[in-house]
Amino acid sequence: MARAKIKRGSTSIDMTPMCDVAFLLLTFFILAAQFKPAEAITVVTPSSVSNKVAAQKDFMQVTISKDNKVFMNMDPAIKKDVLVELGKERNINFSQDDIDHFVNAQFVGSPISQLKQFDQMDPTKVKGSDLPGIPVDSSNNELQAWISAIVNARMGEKMNYLIKGDSQAKYSTFKQVIDAFEKNDQYKYYLVTSSENIPEGSELYKKNLEEQLHGKAPSTNE
Amino acid sequence: MAEMEVKESKKKGPGVKKGKKHSTRVDLTPMVDLGFLLITFFIFTTTVQQPTSMNLNMPKDTKDQKDLTKVKESGSLTLLLGKDNVVYYYYGNDPSTMKTTNYKDVRDIILKKKKSTPASDLFVIIKPDKDATYKNAVNILDEMDINQIDRYAMVDPTPDEYSKIQQTEQANGIQ
Repeated sequence: MARAKIKRGSTSIDMTPMCDVAFLLLTFFILAAQFKPAEAITVVTPSSVSNKVAAQKDFMQVTISKDNKVFMNMDPAIKKDVLVELGKERNINFSQDDIDHFVNAQFVGSPISQLKQFDQMDPTKVKGSDLPGIPVDSSNNELQAWISAIVNARMGEKMNYLIKGDSQAKYSTFKQVIDAFEKNDQYKYYLVTSSENIPEGSELYKKNLEEQLHGKAPSTNE
Repeated sequence: MAEMEVKESKKKGPGVKKGKKHSTRVDLTPMVDLGFLLITFFIFTTTVQQPTSMNLNMPKDTKDQKDLTKVKESGSLTLLLGKDNVVYYYYGNDPSTMKTTNYKDVRDIILKKKKSTPASDLFVIIKPDKDATYKNAVNILDEMDINQIDRYAMVDPTPDEYSKIQQTEQANGIQ
């Protein structure tokens, strides 16, 4: 009797559908990815071993650029309240239009006297190097007025104060920013940095290692 | 489709050359590899970008002399941050014994001080000069974290120290 013949299938698989899927996914990810908006102020932050992620809610961020100019932006949710509060404190009348422009503007980059004009600028044309920045001199520290407005607008609710400074920025400018916060009794800040590995063999490295061995989560820096 | 049926050519008369037909089937495996490689690459690069932050708590300013933090002279190390990434340091209370170092070697100096001093006495005083950059300040604060120094303070240099720094800078030709 003749044995039944087993048909041998070819081991080569048609890769075409797989290729299609791969490139479809690729196209999807590229198109769906959000492009980083061109930053008006380019800041290269120094690095630190800290591994905490910067707060994205209820924040107020002060940016110090390379040429020691100070800019500020904040959580869009609180912008309106802050401007109204600032108007009250400084006796400036902001119309509904002004408020809308302020909420739409990406950041504050001018003295309060020029704020209305600044907010109406086209965001795509705003360039950090052309802007005057917020004055922080000891004689005219407008940042202090902004922080005061924020503190009052929030009425004691917690705020995260981020300070993002460029590596090249002078310490004295940073000190002026800190002074503005201290005048308003705000003493807790987060310095935005890029992350860096903990050097091997250092005290912090050993401490983290020990905590890992004992089953605790590695500590973040305080 | 990558495959195409190739028709068998009909027999031609003797002496007629047969054109050799190549298969049009292409191996797509490398292409798939490339596709997935790119996907992996894009996914990794998009999620990694997240800024971290470092906490900084400043003390409340006190006008009262009584409330000022007392530091033992034997336990104090003063680090002065100068121009051009130079660190000056001295122990105790005497700025005239100031020495020069840089941000790489400062860790050893801090560690040595830490080992030779009881933990409760150790106090590092950071004095960034007005020519220091923000990066310098962050670096030195980071150093406090790395070396687990619990007690440190950031203050302005005294005029004495400042003039001493300037003298040293001039002597070393730092503009």
